[in-house]
Amino acid sequence: MDVLQVTTMIALVLLAVAWYLSYSASRLDRLHAKVEGAVSALDAQLVRRAEATLELATSGSMDPATSLLLGDAASEALERHTHHPLSHDLLDGQTFAGREGTETDLTETLRAALPEEAVTALRRDPGSPGAVALGRVEASALRVQLARRFHNDAVREVRRVRAKGVVRLFRLAGHAALPQVVDFDDDLPPAVVD
Amino acid sequence: MRIGLVCPYAFDVPGGVQFHIRDLAEYFIARGHEVGVLAPVDDLDADLPAYVTSCGRAVPVRYNGSVARLTFGPVTSSRVSRWLEEGGFDVLHLHEPVTPSASLMALWASTEPVVATFHTSNIRSRAMHAANPLLRPSTEKIRARIAVSEEARGTVRRHLGGDAYIIPNGVDTRRFAPDGAVTRWSGTPERPVLAFLGRIDEPRKGLQVLLAAMPTILDAIPATRLVVAGPGEVAEIASRLDPRVRSATEFLGAVSEEDKVALLRSADLYVAPHTGGESFGIVLVEAMAAGAPVLSSDLEAFVAVLGDSPSGRTFPVGDIGSLAGTVLELLRDPAERERLSALGLRRARSFDWDVVAGRVMAVYETVIEGADNSPVEPMLRAGLLSRLRWPMRGEV
Repeated sequence: MDVLQVTTMIALVLLAVAWYLSYSASRLDRLHAKVEGAVSALDAQLVRRAEATLELATSGSMDPATSLLLGDAASEALERHTHHPLSHDLLDGQTFAGREGTETDLTETLRAALPEEAVTALRRDPGSPGAVALGRVEASALRVQLARRFHNDAVREVRRVRAKGVVRLFRLAGHAALPQVVDFDDDLPPAVVD
Repeated sequence: MRIGLVCPYAFDVPGGVQFHIRDLAEYFIARGHEVGVLAPVDDLDADLPAYVTSCGRAVPVRYNGSVARLTFGPVTSSRVSRWLEEGGFDVLHLHEPVTPSASLMALWASTEPVVATFHTSNIRSRAMHAANPLLRPSTEKIRARIAVSEEARGTVRRHLGGDAYIIPNGVDTRRFAPDGAVTRWSGTPERPVLAFLGRIDEPRKGLQVLLAAMPTILDAIPATRLVVAGPGEVAEIASRLDPRVRSATEFLGAVSEEDKVALLRSADLYVAPHTGGESFGIVLVEAMAAGAPVLSSDLEAFVAVLGDSPSGRTFPVGDIGSLAGTVLELLRDPAERERLSALGLRRARSFDWDVVAGRVMAVYETVIEGADNSPVEPMLRAGLLSRLRWPMRGEV
């Protein structure tokens, strides 16, 4: 083999390696982008759920005790959202800011406040502020469920790719923190489901 | 919203996936969304609805243990790209995205936010594992995974990892709503009517189990009528029957939709003795929507359809004695049948298109919101290298 052939071979191999690294990096970049989108969608739905719950609490269609409980849980969730916003760069040390606890509380309060009798009573008058607010709670609670699942799927994909040897060796993930799955109780109140 | 739906199987050949896509498309169109469906066709001259674009003729191929009518190759590929480009969809909803057909090609070429629905529960693991490294980067484009049943969800978990959100198939339950009319299949307390639906010569539909239970049922209530609706060779099955069972059984053959609805509305008891092969018990939903009390075998799919506080009774798959016993118990207890009918009507509502399509729309909205909040995807950045990473639309 003459020098030219050897040089060509080496150049080709280097090119292939460069392409593969570039491909892997962009694949990871895309997955990171998906997680970022998913986490902000989840954040937005959680805010909507808390706002809808607050609306239900102040609609005048619930008894005062229930209203107070709902209002309390919803304001707590909104407060956590404003005081611990997700940082602008979601992958820069991103965690869910410890909001899992307050969101679980809100889910449990909704479940306690919306037994079958309460849901039936609210739905009896479809135009009332209470029924409209209930509809919003339902819609946002469903979307919270969806957003959290889609987010966690995306997180698992990122973690799988980042566990690969080539990604770790060449530090293809850069400074992006390893995204975490978000886990809290987001079950819909059973009476709302059917 | 502009929605693109992709069907992997020939659209003009009847099948569960095709019907699901058709109903979903028509539901969204009726509510003012713009919907396009891309699918292969079997007969190029077939009369397709205006929203369907053909991506080529389906070819019968052996895949996943059976012959499927799929489409692939460069012609399909360029048609998929053109459809995506012209559609300008806000969201792309692919069905069976790992089947080597239009859905997989659309996934490959897509830049839109992608939602994928998994229907089958029997993907052969060998093919999936072999293809996994090839498929993985593509499946990572999927932002939301939907499974139509718990079994389909299990398949996703085993073969792709991660999870899927269950949204069942929709049924137009209003079409089945009971109207109180008396038909030729309406029973009386002395002459109750049992209904069976399904191919009579397909063992997995379980007609043989029900026929074997009939002598015991006739011993106790001699005038019981069994009405069997479904295609198949009647003479062959009838010739093997005990004369008493033969005279109690009416074979209707393949029936029209109207007759099917009328039968389910009038029957005293709908019996689903299936022994397997059901990934989703749509027929159970139809029976419940028509107000028929349901007695089914305890297949996983059926138990899931009946729900946690079951809206129907079940018996162990293939257990003739238990089937006969439960049929008699229910025929003698009109109050219990009344109760099951009311529970069934209520349960069926959660499978109505209004509920199902509402959930699918919620998935679209969540996914679009996530995509809008994502930073610009690398493949959309200009540059020579980015072109090497992913095939851009129209390059193929």
